[in-house]
Amino acid sequence: MSETYADDYEREPVGGFIVVAISILSAVLVLAGLFYAAGAHARTKSALAVNNCEPSMSPSGLPCNSQQMVIGEYNGIVNPASKLLATDMAAYIVNERHHLAAAEAALTSEVATEQALDKSLAAIAYTSQNYANAINLITIAFDSGGSTPGAAILLTPQATVIANAAVRDNQALATLTTEQARSKSLTQLRSFNTRVEADTAAVQAEMKLIGKTLATPITAAQEP
Amino acid sequence: MATTREPPYAGYTAPPTAQYGGPETYQPDLYPDDATGTWEDEQQSPTLNRPPQRQTRQRQQPAELQRADRSRVDEWMDKDFKFGGSHIKRKALALVLLGLPAVVPLFFMAPAFFTMNVATFAGSVDDTLGTGAEICLFLCLLVSPMVTLTGQRWFFPLRRWYGIMFAFSGIGDMLAAGLTDNFAGGFFGKVAGHVFELMGFMMVMLAIPLLITGNHWAQRKLGRYWKQLQRITYVIWGLLFFHLSLLEGLGFQNGNGHNGSGNPGDGDPIFHQRLYEYAACSLFLLTLRLPPVKRWIAARQREGRNWLVWVTIAPIFALFIFGMIFCFNEEIFKGFDSFMEHPSAE
Repeated sequence: MSETYADDYEREPVGGFIVVAISILSAVLVLAGLFYAAGAHARTKSALAVNNCEPSMSPSGLPCNSQQMVIGEYNGIVNPASKLLATDMAAYIVNERHHLAAAEAALTSEVATEQALDKSLAAIAYTSQNYANAINLITIAFDSGGSTPGAAILLTPQATVIANAAVRDNQALATLTTEQARSKSLTQLRSFNTRVEADTAAVQAEMKLIGKTLATPITAAQEP
Repeated sequence: MATTREPPYAGYTAPPTAQYGGPETYQPDLYPDDATGTWEDEQQSPTLNRPPQRQTRQRQQPAELQRADRSRVDEWMDKDFKFGGSHIKRKALALVLLGLPAVVPLFFMAPAFFTMNVATFAGSVDDTLGTGAEICLFLCLLVSPMVTLTGQRWFFPLRRWYGIMFAFSGIGDMLAAGLTDNFAGGFFGKVAGHVFELMGFMMVMLAIPLLITGNHWAQRKLGRYWKQLQRITYVIWGLLFFHLSLLEGLGFQNGNGHNGSGNPGDGDPIFHQRLYEYAACSLFLLTLRLPPVKRWIAARQREGRNWLVWVTIAPIFALFIFGMIFCFNEEIFKGFDSFMEHPSAE
């Protein structure tokens, strides 16, 4: 090492030491990360297999999710909507006898939530393409003697029928709530209550049934 | 009689512009720290840290050539090119292209905003705007180290841009969380009801004064206090550590697909631990800000051995890239689902 270099290192020993030490640490971490990443595919495959999901069996375009992931996705849509609806309903109950405008605002907010929920539910699974994929997925699993992939659970004919009914009833509820929100008086507003409650109860029952269906492992009898 | 006196502070107002291609491209006091301050000082007073007799002519020459190279890049960027009958600065185009990623998080959330899709906001706004804000903060903080390493300053305006977009993404994240999250309580209960949320809330509150004062007018009005105020950026950076630590179980949270990051796009829980991503990115950003390291880099650059700096820094930079890849993966995967209004569970 020349005199000048040695002099520089002498004057900046801390900086040089820090850089070199952190650099070595970083190199070790990067190599460890790359080594770990190399096994990612095998880990994912085995994790999915544990959850009854074989990626190789997935028809093209269908995400092969585990049952927990499907339930998580479903809850991610339904839970926020439920909370918002509960808040709007509480606001309606507070105002239904005194403040027409406030009650109507709460109803309008309810309608928006119901429509958003419909849209999200329709997007998540209940398309004809997804339905066809589910049938295909289940058939392949059945023919090969394997267990049904978790991804198909949300798309089973049973769940799809219930979900379609839930979406349809929820749209009816949204229409009714929209009518209610257009009421000219508090009396007229309250006259909708019974019908709205009945529709709400129907939707709630269907949503509970979907949740139960998703949480229950599929049996051979349910397969097409 | 005409005076020939110079203003008393004239000597301090003129930055060493020769290497940067003119004062228009160099705004030394615009941001919290001046990354190249170390080697600028050394250039202005070469005897400050180094006995002149130690410098041989052979040693000085490569350093000068290297700085000339750096200035050439800045000068090249300052030139116009003709496009559709109008003249556009190369630098302007490069800055627009490099600055575009900052608007992506807001772009991803735009459909949900215009259709008022509460489910999408409740489902994935934290991932889309929160991760977006994190990326913007890291890119904002990346500018100074890159100036230190390259000596180029043409991309300096990106620091302000990414800082501003960090603030907007953070504010958007906070507002959406306050309005749509499932946590108990009203707006403030939702944005500050848990400790990790409180950290995020404080970050946003601290970002607001930075956003308001992130302009030349405020800089002039606040004078020397402006720079001190902008150092709050580092407090935000520190708070982000606590925010992410508490969000995902101090980096130990893991699980069956529902790990701390929640349904990562590639199914791998470890690389999507946000605290790990933060650590990987911050190591580079922090190291290049340490004064002894900056002095060491300046010394190597003065010797004309910038290659040694790059070789030594390369693993740290690789770790930064490694962390950023998974931040971007998260942002694109969750953001695209948000854009389609089919939010991924968090």
